[in-house]
This record gives sequence, structure tokens and C-alpha cells, in this order.
Amino acid sequence: MSYQHAQDNWFAAIVIGFIALAVLLNILRARMGAQLYIRRIPGLDAIDEAIGRSTELGRPVTMIPGLTAFGVVAVQALTIFKYITKQIARFATPMRLLSADATVFAVAQEAIADAYNEAGRPDLYDADNIRFLSDRQFAFASGVAGLIQRERVAASFMFGEFYAESLIFAETGNMVGAIQIAGTVSFTQVPFFVAACDYTIIGDEFYATSAYLSREPVLLGSLVGQDIAKLLFALTAVGGVIASTIAGTDAPIIKLLGQPGGWEAFWSSLGGGGGQ
Amino acid sequence: MGVLNHLIAQQSVWQLPEGSRVLFATLIVLGAFVLFLGLIPVLQTLPPRGRRAIVVIITFLAGLFFAAEFFLPINWTAIFPKDDPTRNFLTPAIQPAQNVLQIIGALALGLGTFGLVRLHLRNVVQKRAQWGYSIVLLVSFITMATFSILNTLAEKEIVERGPVLERGFSILFDYTLVQLDAAMFSLIAFYIFSAAYRAFRIRSIEASILMFTAMLVMIGVVPLGAYLSYTLLGLPEGAAPEGANFLTQVQHNIGLPKIANWVLTQLNAPAQRAIEFGVGIGGLAMAIRLWLSLERGVT
Repeated sequence: MSYQHAQDNWFAAIVIGFIALAVLLNILRARMGAQLYIRRIPGLDAIDEAIGRSTELGRPVTMIPGLTAFGVVAVQALTIFKYITKQIARFATPMRLLSADATVFAVAQEAIADAYNEAGRPDLYDADNIRFLSDRQFAFASGVAGLIQRERVAASFMFGEFYAESLIFAETGNMVGAIQIAGTVSFTQVPFFVAACDYTIIGDEFYATSAYLSREPVLLGSLVGQDIAKLLFALTAVGGVIASTIAGTDAPIIKLLGQPGGWEAFWSSLGGGGGQ
Repeated sequence: MGVLNHLIAQQSVWQLPEGSRVLFATLIVLGAFVLFLGLIPVLQTLPPRGRRAIVVIITFLAGLFFAAEFFLPINWTAIFPKDDPTRNFLTPAIQPAQNVLQIIGALALGLGTFGLVRLHLRNVVQKRAQWGYSIVLLVSFITMATFSILNTLAEKEIVERGPVLERGFSILFDYTLVQLDAAMFSLIAFYIFSAAYRAFRIRSIEASILMFTAMLVMIGVVPLGAYLSYTLLGLPEGAAPEGANFLTQVQHNIGLPKIANWVLTQLNAPAQRAIEFGVGIGGLAMAIRLWLSLERGVT
């Protein structure tokens, strides 16, 4: 089996290095006391409102990480759920966390127990509220839809990776009148969430959530680093458009931006060896 | 022992003499199990700071392994002529590392299944609300698990595949589970309709633009769009000829299929790519924070 390596495309590897550097330097800046600004994200402001409504109605809150396998996305989703659980613990609102991945389920149990402990209400933690339903997509979807219907949930938080089942969750929640907040990195599912949920967190806003909710300097610094990296990408795109318009798409500088063999073509052109 | 023998026989890495394989495999499995069970009490006795230090070190070393494997140059044939030019010295360790992750996942699956069964057993024993559903789940779980395990063993020729197993597995899997999956999937069609109705209601300028664009794209990508544009209105199909005047070029590009394609490739695709870039950078930043244990969310 072959794996990708930096040597396959040194330009991409250098870009990865630059992003890492931008993130780390800004984390350092934030730790040294720099005041960093983060714009308002309405979907995240609505979390407290949704929890308040659940508390008033005495109906449960559901948290769904989708089909997320354990990884970066799952950790981010569980971080958000941990924050929500801490808020829930203050009002003893019932909750259900429904998982389709056994590893996410195991980590979620620990994370939610920690959240109740940190909120000073370890007595409210019930391991049965964190449930592994099935690792089969539509078995999981029917399990979640059934629970939403039976328990008439008042708020539904969907954060993670979603596929075709996203609309089943969102429409079922809509039918029972739940406030729904969704955030996903699966951009193909964003339109479904936008159509069916009250608030949707799109794309990289998902990764900004923990910084937004906690306002921790490390996370805020990381966010600024990400924005610098995005600026680099935008400049590269604009530069690429201008360069390809002037020099044509076969120019070595354009091939350098990601085409196979682009690195060699670029170096060889610098050394006077032509484009190929 | 027969099952273990069979599993071992499938592994090409086992180059030991036939007689030693079972003993060696048993020792490795038992050793890993004892090590794993031994680590838990050791970690429990450590103060939280010590525990965290161990987690931080293991996380950093694991991340360093994958980063080093990616960044280290490949093709060392100048120094080691017999080496594979498509990899470096860390690459062969990737697959075993992924196997370890799979094993951890399998252990967690047992934990998840145990939690599910425990919850529904409690529902039945304590006769909680809607406990009848729990009985259905438990009966389905036991039946499906029994037939699936027997079917897997039959595939490996460890047990005999009788007509009861063959027919039973077929009824449960092909005629029940797959059909139930399809039924759930088909629900999406109805949900799309109700969600689209709400999304396309004209409440604001943005919603109006969304509805108008959606109508153009929906009609443009189905045969109706081509019929309306090229048959009914008589617009010219295909690209405009070389050197055509402005009016001819416009006529060649205002057919509904052309407009729908333009919306999808020139407006929709760049927006999706921009989101993808953001997600990629966000994921990378999150991975760096996790690697260096700067993320305090669930860690």
C-alpha cells in the first residue's frame, strides 16, 4: 500500500508547515497577553437559549455526533457537548448523547462524566444517558429518530460528520418542535441543516466553536493562526488566477501550485531547463 | 483452539513452525492483555498530573511518528540499494499502527454493545415506560448476533452451513435488515420535500434569490429544461461558433441547462471549495493542538 509523503509535493508540505507555524506563533502571542477578537456566531449564542427552553419544558436535550469516527472532528464535537452538558448540569435538565461509533461512545462517557463533575453535580451523571445505538447508518438514524419522537426532545444539538441521515434527524426534530443547532464539516449536508434547523454552523466555524465558547487564549490564538492561513490560501488563489491569465496554465509557477511533477518543473525552469 | 488456529493460518507474518504458532500467539495475546490490565491500576494510583503527563507523552510520540513518516524523504536507494523507493524506514510501521487503532475500536465496540444491552435489560426488568421496545431490541440483537456469528464461522469453514443457517441468515440480513435500511433511506425523499418547502418560502430577498436559483437549477438539470430551451423556444444548442457576434454568443448560453451548469460550476463549486479550505485548515489547527496537548476539551 502506498502512502502520501511530503516529497510527493514539497509545495504542499511547505504550506502545511506555514499553517502550523502561523497557528503556533499566534497561540504564543495569545499566551503572552495579546487581545484577540472573535466575531459573533449566532448559532453558538443560541445554545443557552435552547437549553433554557428544554429546562422550562422539562424535556430532554439530545446531542448527536453523527457518524463521526474517533478523530479530530469527534474531539471537537465532544468538546462542544461537554460545554453544553456543563450548562445543562446547572439546571438538572435531562440529556441524551447518541453515538454511532463505539470509540466516540467510550470517550463521550468520560467527557460527560467530567462535565458533570466540573459543574459540581456528579450526582446527575447517568451512564445510560450516553448511548451507543448502532454503527449501521440507517439503524442509527432510525434509533435517533425514534428517541426524538418518543421523548419529544426540546433541543437537539448535532455536531460532527453527517451523511444522508442528517435530514432524518433534523426533520424529526422539527416535527416535535425542538430548537435545533447543527454544525458540520460535511459540506454536502449543510443545505439540509440550513433548511431544517434553527441555526447552522458552517465549515470552519465548527472548529472555532471551542474558542468561541471558552475564550481560552490558546484556542483564540489558534483561530487567528487559521485566519492567517486562510488569507494565504485566498492570496494564492488570486495570485494563481492572475499568473495563469498572464502566463497560461502550463507555466511552471502554476504547476507548482499542486499539479503532479510541478515542483520538478518549477525548479528545472529556474535552472533554465524549461518547463518540463 | 480450532478458531485460533484458523485465524493464525490466515496471517502471512506468522513464519514460525506449525507447532509453535498457537503457543506464540497465545503468549502474545495473554502478554498484551496482562500489560493492559496492569497499566490500569498503575494509572489509577498516579496523581492526575502524573496521569496527564503520561497521556501527553504518548500523544506526542504517536503524533510525531505519523508526522515524521510524512515529512521524511522517501527513496533511500542511494544509501540502501535494496530499499523500496516509494517509502522511508517508518512507512512499514504504519499498517501495524493502524491495526492497533482497529483493535482499540473493536474493544470499544464491545463496551458500546454492553452498554446498549444493559440499558434495555434494565428497561425490561424494571418495566420502565415503553419496555416492550426493549424486548424487541434484545430478541433482535440475540437472533441477529447468533446467525451472524454462525455465518462468519461457516464462511471460514469452522462450522457446517446447514439449510437453517443459510435460510435464516438470508431472511434476517437480505430480507429484513437491508430492506429496513432502504425504507429509512427512502424517508429522506419525503423529508427533502418538507424541508425544501420551508426553505423556499419567500420571506426575504435572500429566500427569493434562493428559490429562483433553485428552480432554475432543478429545471435546468432535468430533460424539461432542455425541452423548454431548445425545442419550445428554439434556442441554439452547443457552444457558439468561433468568431460569432455577441448576440449569437448570448443565444448559445441562455438555455436553462447552460445556466444551471453555470450556477453549479461557477457559483456553487467555488463556495464549496472555500468551505473545504476552511475545514481543512481548521482540522489541521485542531490536530496540532491535540498533538501538543494544548486542547483541553475532552483531554
